[in-house]
Amino acid sequence: MARSPLRDPAVAVPAALALLIVLVAAAAPLLAPYDPAAGRLQDRLLDPGAPGHLLGTDGQGRDLLSRLIWAGRASLTGGLIPVAAATAAGTLIGTTAGLGGRVLEQALLRTLDVLYAFPGVLLAIAVATLLRPGLGATVLALSVVLTPAVARVAFTEVRRIRTAEYLEAARVSGAGPLALVLRQVVPVVAPVVLVYASSLVGLAVAYAAGLAFLGLGVAPPTPEWGAMLDELRPALFTHPWPAVLPGLAVLAVSVVFTTLGEGLRQRIGDRGALLPEAVR
Amino acid sequence: MTGFLLRRLLLAVPTLLGVTVVVFATVALVPGDPVAAFLGPGAPPEARAELSARLGLDRPLPLRYLSWLRHALGGDLGTSIADQRPVGGLLLPAIGQTLVLTAAAFLLVLVGGVLLGAVGALRPPGPLGRLSGAATTLAVSAPQYSVALVLIAVVAVRLRWLPAGGTHDVFGDGGFADLARHLVLPAVAAALVPLGLTARVFRAALGSVLAGDLADGLRARGLSRAAVLRHCAHNASPALLAIGGLQLAYLLEGVVFVETLFARPGLGRLLYDALAARDLPLVQGGVLVVAAAFVGVNLLVDTAHAAVDPRTRS
Repeated sequence: MARSPLRDPAVAVPAALALLIVLVAAAAPLLAPYDPAAGRLQDRLLDPGAPGHLLGTDGQGRDLLSRLIWAGRASLTGGLIPVAAATAAGTLIGTTAGLGGRVLEQALLRTLDVLYAFPGVLLAIAVATLLRPGLGATVLALSVVLTPAVARVAFTEVRRIRTAEYLEAARVSGAGPLALVLRQVVPVVAPVVLVYASSLVGLAVAYAAGLAFLGLGVAPPTPEWGAMLDELRPALFTHPWPAVLPGLAVLAVSVVFTTLGEGLRQRIGDRGALLPEAVR
Repeated sequence: MTGFLLRRLLLAVPTLLGVTVVVFATVALVPGDPVAAFLGPGAPPEARAELSARLGLDRPLPLRYLSWLRHALGGDLGTSIADQRPVGGLLLPAIGQTLVLTAAAFLLVLVGGVLLGAVGALRPPGPLGRLSGAATTLAVSAPQYSVALVLIAVVAVRLRWLPAGGTHDVFGDGGFADLARHLVLPAVAAALVPLGLTARVFRAALGSVLAGDLADGLRARGLSRAAVLRHCAHNASPALLAIGGLQLAYLLEGVVFVETLFARPGLGRLLYDALAARDLPLVQGGVLVVAAAFVGVNLLVDTAHAAVDPRTRS
């Protein structure tokens, strides 16, 4: 009898931290000490620890702690929604490729190969240049980037079980194709795909902030970690501490979600060890 | 082996063609009317028709793709909008800069990844093993721009140990030492993610070889610890080739951020500037060059992998 994953410290600790991060971003209006958009020019670029501004201020005198808290909303949305979308689309594509016959399988796999031929950020850039910069562009671009990876994991799982006897048994007992997929295939594939998807979240948050840094994501003045990095870049040489804070925020969030993904991987044993490295 | 090579080459062709279709589409499908952008909204229809014909925009999309592909294959990637110079001419020097940076970073990836992975595989339960595990997780999840900024803030601005950007000193001699000093921080920033990945994969591969029959046999024959480790590391090393493509992908995408933050005039920096200026032909050319190089290197890596490990040829 397996213990609940939440009793496993390798899962529980990062899960609690991840929940905390999401809650802090959600409760931004209650927690942030200042309006993230309002700055006092005479308080420009204060270092962390300045009176009244725990983490200092940015180039327009806006409170950095408040902006970092608010920025979590856009940055986490830009990371979590694409993972959810890619999980759904990838499972659909992988299952279709696995059960749809040889022609469909080859057509889908070769198409995925083309998307795989782009390093992640470049594919995201290619997709995002088609759209007006904003959270929508980030979400769509990252969904396209992450889908092939999920689809491949789903396909591998489906291929593993597609000749299994219990599928044949369900078939001869009269299960239609839809019932077969929903009752027999999805329950087997879903845990592995979900664990894999969890290991993509840290990466996706880092990508989302990266796109904003490149000017393809959320546009100023909306606070977003990557956009803040770009805004604070000119101050890097005179005020390095405020300038690295958004980068550290992304780093911390990414580490928490990556650790959570690793913890979950260990829970599913061999099938977790065989999963591809999280990427791209 | 020849059969494998042919099969692999044949598979690379449709992939490359797919890449060109995607890249072409990113420009052909961009919303907005280029003719109106050139001539302004009040232009007479004859002028619009003439420009449209001159730019080839009156032809159907598949024909435009074929003519674009023909030019691209001949090295003609169009003209940069911001610079009014051929895209190929802008990309070429940048490619050289990026090659230097990725080569330096790749050296770090191999040395650091193998060492960190070996420590993890040899000392799994102890504090040293746990430390290497934590370092690996941190490396894998550290976004390149965060690492670059922290390095600049701490090593360059605070401690003043190494320069914060550029490729050489303004008044320096531009000699090897000068260039190398400027290369250290960017290479570390670009290397960290693939280094962590390499460590993770090598740790798993070496760990399973060390726990297997080969290691038992070698120990039974009385070989020293070091000799056992040497043989086992040799057996685990094809795992490094298997993730070669992934490492390269991380290096190349890291370059976009690292070159921008460290002000190095490479492909990544060029892409960043092109994106900021919405210079689409340059973005398109840069993405195409990187993706094509990526497909090519993957082909090489797979070939090398098949050459050293016959099991992968099937």
